[in-house]
Amino acid sequence: MPLISEQHFRSVENLVFEWARAIDENRVEAICELLVPQGRYTVTSRFNSDRGLPMAIIDCHSAAQLRDRIKSMRLANVYEPQHYRHLISGVQIVAAEHGLLEVRSNFVVVRTLELDGDIKLFASGQCQDRVDISQGEPRFVQRRFIYDSRAVETLMIIPL
Amino acid sequence: MCPDPQTTSPVTNPVNPASPTSPMSPVVGLRPWPTQGFTRVPYWVYSDPQVYALEQARIFQGRSWHYLGLEAEVPEPGCYKTTYIGEQSVLLTRAEDGSLHAMLNRCAHRGNMVCREAFGQTKKLYCVYHAWSYKLNGELSHAAFQHGLRGEGGLPTDFKLAEHGLRQLRVATLCGLVFASFSAEVEPLEDWLGEVASGIRRVLHKPLKVLGYDTQRIHANWKAYHENPRDSYHANILHTFYGTFGLSRQSQESGMVLDQHGRHVYFFTKAGTEKTSADYQATASNLRSHNDALSLEDPSILKWQDEFGDGVSVQILTAYPSFVLHQIANSLATRQLLPKGPGQCDLVWTYFGFADDDEATTRRRLAQANLAGSAGLISVEDAAVCEMMHRAISDGASGESFIEMGGRELDSGGASKLSERAIRNFWHNYRQDMGL
Repeated sequence: MPLISEQHFRSVENLVFEWARAIDENRVEAICELLVPQGRYTVTSRFNSDRGLPMAIIDCHSAAQLRDRIKSMRLANVYEPQHYRHLISGVQIVAAEHGLLEVRSNFVVVRTLELDGDIKLFASGQCQDRVDISQGEPRFVQRRFIYDSRAVETLMIIPL
Repeated sequence: MCPDPQTTSPVTNPVNPASPTSPMSPVVGLRPWPTQGFTRVPYWVYSDPQVYALEQARIFQGRSWHYLGLEAEVPEPGCYKTTYIGEQSVLLTRAEDGSLHAMLNRCAHRGNMVCREAFGQTKKLYCVYHAWSYKLNGELSHAAFQHGLRGEGGLPTDFKLAEHGLRQLRVATLCGLVFASFSAEVEPLEDWLGEVASGIRRVLHKPLKVLGYDTQRIHANWKAYHENPRDSYHANILHTFYGTFGLSRQSQESGMVLDQHGRHVYFFTKAGTEKTSADYQATASNLRSHNDALSLEDPSILKWQDEFGDGVSVQILTAYPSFVLHQIANSLATRQLLPKGPGQCDLVWTYFGFADDDEATTRRRLAQANLAGSAGLISVEDAAVCEMMHRAISDGASGESFIEMGGRELDSGGASKLSERAIRNFWHNYRQDMGL
């Protein structure tokens, strides 16, 4: 693997943090700007991934589809008021080729329900991302969240 | 292989059929049901631990069939799936001769869990604790050191392997669905499903292929969820996606089919068949679910193919007490409802297509999986309302629901979707099975 500069690593790490902070600060729409227009955003379980099963609970084949999902979240769907808090660790660049970096990181999302203030460990897992650093600001070409449990707590309406 | 699907038309089922089962012995110590009967449900029935324990015995181990999975999940000899009926861990296996078997996942020796994995393939079922080894059909073939060693120890000489197999359940299949029962008395599966089997035959008309899984952990009593797909009244009100994008609207050509005992039900609707009327327009404009501001940047997710050739865009089929089969556009899935205590249930969604689907069809099914399940743009709110209801009623002390949409009788509302007929019929059967 070609040597990744400290600067590149920091900018990739910053991208991963930027996505999480946008969601946690309730600026969820902002994550669509961090994905290239034809980028892919997928959320699936380790249960499916380990078995090579293609079904994912969220599968957006473009930033437009992700915008549609977020619009549905804002305008259409019914759910208890809630927030996420992402905790991210282990950001690593594991491969690099032609300006595309393979990135791995771990995540835990804590979900807070606003009404009674209930806190729950909502999801943990790994991100398998592909990041384009060839165009100035790094952008996700692909984000794949693989959550560890085969089960989802109640519902996932805010994207991870 | 499943017979060709029948064309179904809405049927009005006969009035108040007699139950074939003898009434359960009445329960001592529980509060009485409201005098109005099945048009009211006392809220304690969703939270009382004594009721929950009785359900495990009288419903889940009672005179019903329970969905275990798809034949496609255990495709070859030696394949097994670990699942549940109620809270009881159960194994589904395919034996060497291709036959299917269902049994308790509990060693006949001292109760250890025999299989620990969700899916696997094995030559024998082997309990790690004392090496008791069973054939794929659950018969005990070997108990370690049965004859002792050097003349010492061992099991009594009258020990018979044949008496210590894994406890067997009855198994039945229909169009690639596998059901099992603890009951020797319940009628054969197709008779038990009655007219509702036609909804299964319509969809599952050729071999299946599993696409993936999603378990939705709902913090509510299992009955709160089971009522939901039987509730056609809510579908076009709560779920904005249905109404706004026309996959399902009250004004469309639609119908409802129940079996003769009202245990099971399916609804169907045909997108694009809207008949406008003044009363529909007046109500629709007030519904939050008819949101003209919601337009998709990429509406390709809504493109569907009429693969069954009858114009039905949505069919939701519910079998008592814990099974759903859905066709939503081209998304196909089963939903298995597993109770986990009075205040929680796990809804296991199994998505599938047909074994001969081409790549484009599979991609369409996977794209439309975005509409259903734990992150479903249509269905996500079902879990939310179940949980909110569970919290709102959980003082356990007072209150009852009111179920008179469509009328007050088991046949009131006919085949109209604007009816809670299928919910009244659930409670009618539940009360009979439970003796409440």
